[in-house]
Amino acid sequence: MTAAPATIADAPAGVPTARQVRAQLRRARSRHHDHSLGDVLGDAYVIVLFVGMYGWFAISASRDLLDSPTVGQAEPGVRWWLAVAALLAGAGLAWRGLRALGPLLVTPATQSWATSAPIDRRAWLAPRFVLLLVGAAVGTAALGVAVAALAGVSAPAALGWAAAAGAGWGAAALALSVVAQSSRSGRRWPTVVGAAPMAAAALITAVVVLVGRLGDGLPRPGSTPAVALVAVAVPLAVVGTILAVRALPRVDRASLTTGAQFANAAATATILLDPSLLVGLVESRRWRRIGKVRSSRFLPGPGWWALLQADVRRLRRHPSAVLIWAALLGVQYAAALALPGLAGAAQVVFAYLAADRLTGGLRAVSRSPGLRRALGGSDNLLRGIHVVVPAVGAGLWWLLTVPTVDPGPAWLAPMLALGVVAAAFRAGTRPPINYGGATVNTPFGMVPVDLLRQGSRGPALLAVLVLVQLFLG
Amino acid sequence: MIVDALSVRGLSRNFGDLVVLDDVSFTLPAGRIAVVLGPNGSGKTTLLRCVVGADRPDAGEVLVQGRRADETDPQVRALVAAALDDIDFFPDLSVVEHLELIAYAHGGDAEPVGEVLAELGLEPARDQLPVTLSSGQRRRLALASCFVRPRRVLILDEPEQRLDVRGRQWLADRLLRERAAGTAVLLASHDPELIDAVVDERIEIGK
Repeated sequence: MTAAPATIADAPAGVPTARQVRAQLRRARSRHHDHSLGDVLGDAYVIVLFVGMYGWFAISASRDLLDSPTVGQAEPGVRWWLAVAALLAGAGLAWRGLRALGPLLVTPATQSWATSAPIDRRAWLAPRFVLLLVGAAVGTAALGVAVAALAGVSAPAALGWAAAAGAGWGAAALALSVVAQSSRSGRRWPTVVGAAPMAAAALITAVVVLVGRLGDGLPRPGSTPAVALVAVAVPLAVVGTILAVRALPRVDRASLTTGAQFANAAATATILLDPSLLVGLVESRRWRRIGKVRSSRFLPGPGWWALLQADVRRLRRHPSAVLIWAALLGVQYAAALALPGLAGAAQVVFAYLAADRLTGGLRAVSRSPGLRRALGGSDNLLRGIHVVVPAVGAGLWWLLTVPTVDPGPAWLAPMLALGVVAAAFRAGTRPPINYGGATVNTPFGMVPVDLLRQGSRGPALLAVLVLVQLFLG
Repeated sequence: MIVDALSVRGLSRNFGDLVVLDDVSFTLPAGRIAVVLGPNGSGKTTLLRCVVGADRPDAGEVLVQGRRADETDPQVRALVAAALDDIDFFPDLSVVEHLELIAYAHGGDAEPVGEVLAELGLEPARDQLPVTLSSGQRRRLALASCFVRPRRVLILDEPEQRLDVRGRQWLADRLLRERAAGTAVLLASHDPELIDAVVDERIEIGK
């Protein structure tokens, strides 16, 4: 016998409303600190001002850069289609981000002391949903304007359509991600929604690169279909919002608290300037999803041989690292077509990212003195063994992307490739952050220079390599 | 027809290819105490998390008083009290404010809070913020959260952890009173004295 399907019942009699519980919580918390509404609005003003000012500066600088001789000339169609592919890939990544976060979440404390009670869940989640929906619409509207401005659009009407399209798609994505959050595990459509734009982006990139290298490139469409984008997005956003509001009572504790762990790790990583806190959580989730692997004996040989086999095995069990490594090949070929003058610099950056994906073993032994003690041998030997896989990966990646760059001096390419491996090695062997270092008082506030120095271990060398390539390549 | 307070049918949970729970089934009538037994890694905590809805099982169902235990159902949340290891605290609320909040959110008043504070030895810490509590006091506060609100089913994950001798004696006594009051109690525990003192049924998993 199977029990009748669960229905979302009304709250038991006598239970306060969500608004009343929220007010009670707010009253209790306000007794212990004096964070006023004015403080919140002041912080929000500073953030909006900061984003607006530097955002506009970034757009202007990028537009000038795209038109400059440094970047070089590209077929307008190539850039247009690659921009479409980039937007699609960004949409796919944004969807995955929304799904990882929830997007609705409650803090563990709220779960333990408030939402575990039989208060109406829709009423509890609705204000946060509205806030997220408005935030997503405003944010993606600004993104739409930024993309249009970057493409050289300046007419107010056209910028308005771009903003409307951005807002519509942002709101639709947010609302549909809430619907996905409420759906039972095992449903395929949220995965498909995330994978489809990524697949489309890969396909478009592949076609643009192939046609671009074999012929004159894809033609640019006569006009950007902004009106059509709005016509699809707005109804989708409306329907999605209705479905999301209906779905709010079905958003369960498991999905609400999972996203909170991500949000907490992301906030901590930002505050402490240590992305490894977030990376660690993502990695542990990944290995937990895999759960069980086929164990087998290592081929006989010296100790370093077993460690090397383990590093290769680690890579085999983490195929997304190889997938990203391969995807970066396509990105480099696309970048070389769209920004031919910066192809060499792009090669350095993407080679670093590709090698960095392969440093899982290096990071594992570097962050754990206990693991190094257990494995035996010197620290340098252990690190040396675990840099073999990233070095081979970087070398292979570099060779495969040689056709995308103009050959410079004969010594430059090997030096840059070795520099990329060194940068990945430095990033992979970064010790835990020490927060006792120096800070400098500047007109913009205290700047934690020592923290920045520690965080830039690896990327700093990469920046030097990029400069070398730009000046000598 | 007598309806079991808690019924678990064919519950399974996998992490990738790793089977953590495989077709677990049992029933627990009202006024009975059951302990989940099994070696480390056998899935005891995962089972309790699936029962309270903190984790989603891959197959099977949980019924509370004959009603499918969907955590989004307010009636189910009103029936099931749980203290698992994932509890967290508001850093800016005192001990007593935490308990008053959860009592209020369940439609009750602050009346049982003082009694539970005294019973758990938390009275001297009533105005302290969570960051100042010892791990044992935090554990007591987590347990207290279950006793200031109505419940028909009580789920506890290793409740004896971090409790001193007096605390363990109190826990055994409290569980016996819960049983007498008709509450069904499901717990995971490694304490043989506690198990021998209170448990009616043993559910072995991961054999």
